[in-house]
Amino acid sequence: MKVVVNLDLCQGHARCEDLCPEVFSTDAVEGKCVIENAEVPAEFEEKVRLAVRNCPEGALRVTKS
Amino acid sequence: MTLQFQPPPPDHVPPELIVDFDFFHIPEGVSDPAEIWHDLVRRGVPKIFYTPRNGGHWVLLDYADIVEAYRDHTVFSTYQTPIPPIEPFPVVQPQGVDPPEHNVFRRLLAPMFTPIAVRGMEKHLRERAVALLEEFSDKGECDFIADFAERYPTGTFLYLFGLPEERLDEFLDLANVFFRSTDPDERAKNIVDIYAVLEQLFREKEASPGEDIASAIVTARDKEGNQHDWTDILNCGFLLFVAGLDTVTNTMAYIWRYLATNPAARKHFRDRLDDPDAFLRAIEELMRINAVSNLYRRIQHDCEFRGVQFRQNDRVVLPNTVANRDPKVFADPQTIDLDRAVNVHVTFGVGPHRCVGSHLAKREVMVSLQEWLRRVPEFTLADDQPEHSVFGGSVMGFTGLKLTWDAAAQ
Repeated sequence: MKVVVNLDLCQGHARCEDLCPEVFSTDAVEGKCVIENAEVPAEFEEKVRLAVRNCPEGALRVTKS
Repeated sequence: MTLQFQPPPPDHVPPELIVDFDFFHIPEGVSDPAEIWHDLVRRGVPKIFYTPRNGGHWVLLDYADIVEAYRDHTVFSTYQTPIPPIEPFPVVQPQGVDPPEHNVFRRLLAPMFTPIAVRGMEKHLRERAVALLEEFSDKGECDFIADFAERYPTGTFLYLFGLPEERLDEFLDLANVFFRSTDPDERAKNIVDIYAVLEQLFREKEASPGEDIASAIVTARDKEGNQHDWTDILNCGFLLFVAGLDTVTNTMAYIWRYLATNPAARKHFRDRLDDPDAFLRAIEELMRINAVSNLYRRIQHDCEFRGVQFRQNDRVVLPNTVANRDPKVFADPQTIDLDRAVNVHVTFGVGPHRCVGSHLAKREVMVSLQEWLRRVPEFTLADDQPEHSVFGGSVMGFTGLKLTWDAAAQ
């Protein structure tokens, strides 16, 4: 599973980082979503799906690898 | 309700969309000001309606419409929005301007309020909460508003702006008049006073900058390498002063009021003092259910929205508390579920004007509640609550909230 962010939609709510810091972080300039590795380890797939559903901007999307 | 002269609704508003609704007026006996909004939904009023009160304005009640209004600044502008209308009104930076002009001050402020920046403030925020709590935790009672919920965010403002703690009472007085006074002369003088304080503050920081936000604003340079317009600098300081105080105070008031009447919720948080993820998830739910802000927008040009005719300069109110309980978005929306898994609340807005201080505000609430529960694990509402202590408007809340606990037992 892969997760991608649309940075035009992301407004820096950081709900993804709160819910799954293993996959998501935020940058120091605008506080927007940073995904270091789009490939999601199997153990975090459920948390990432939850983060996607909690993004108030609908900026996150999961895709099949 | 006092009858007062109201101009007739404009002719583009059809009669079936008119509802007589004054969101500044909380009827006698209503103990939670947000209930006047939820009452509208229960009555089944149109999801987009017009009230002639307070100069006349629209109200949106659907989550999807409110979100769209937040996102589409080409229709829903933040420029010159006050309700009732006041013109001219200070163009507060960056909240009161639309993209792309909005980007200038937004980009200036954003790095100082990112999650990374706020994590760097946590030690200070915790010490501030502990110091305040130690003033009264052994007394067994407090007025939560005066003793904690006002002092905490105002003190945080002093810290962020590099101001000495000795000026806390002066800033509390300025804020109290700004948020609560209804006397036009007092209000006018208050604005002058706030701007005089900001003028002096920014001049001092310009001469000897520190590591604080005021210094960052006054020393920032625009694309051409010049200082930003001085009026914009003052208006940005004004925004930070007014935006982060009353909102945090009343969010805290709502949360502590709820906890004071819910032993199971107190226990839920106490049991998770060492589990920050679960603690934060529960805080998010209290943020959803206790959304104190009703935001204003102004229509940019004549247009049709969801089949309703809007006219240029019409005012629109976006009640977050209603959006956050939309059954089309939230399962069982009236229930407070402290383990709610999916919670896309709009308490901090969405889109380009998403509250820049949201991470600070959440951290202030979280740290305060953790330190409070470590010292005052059990507390209830005192029997003698102050009368007439609720208010409506753009921020809803309480002027007093007396709490009591058994100091000897804790």
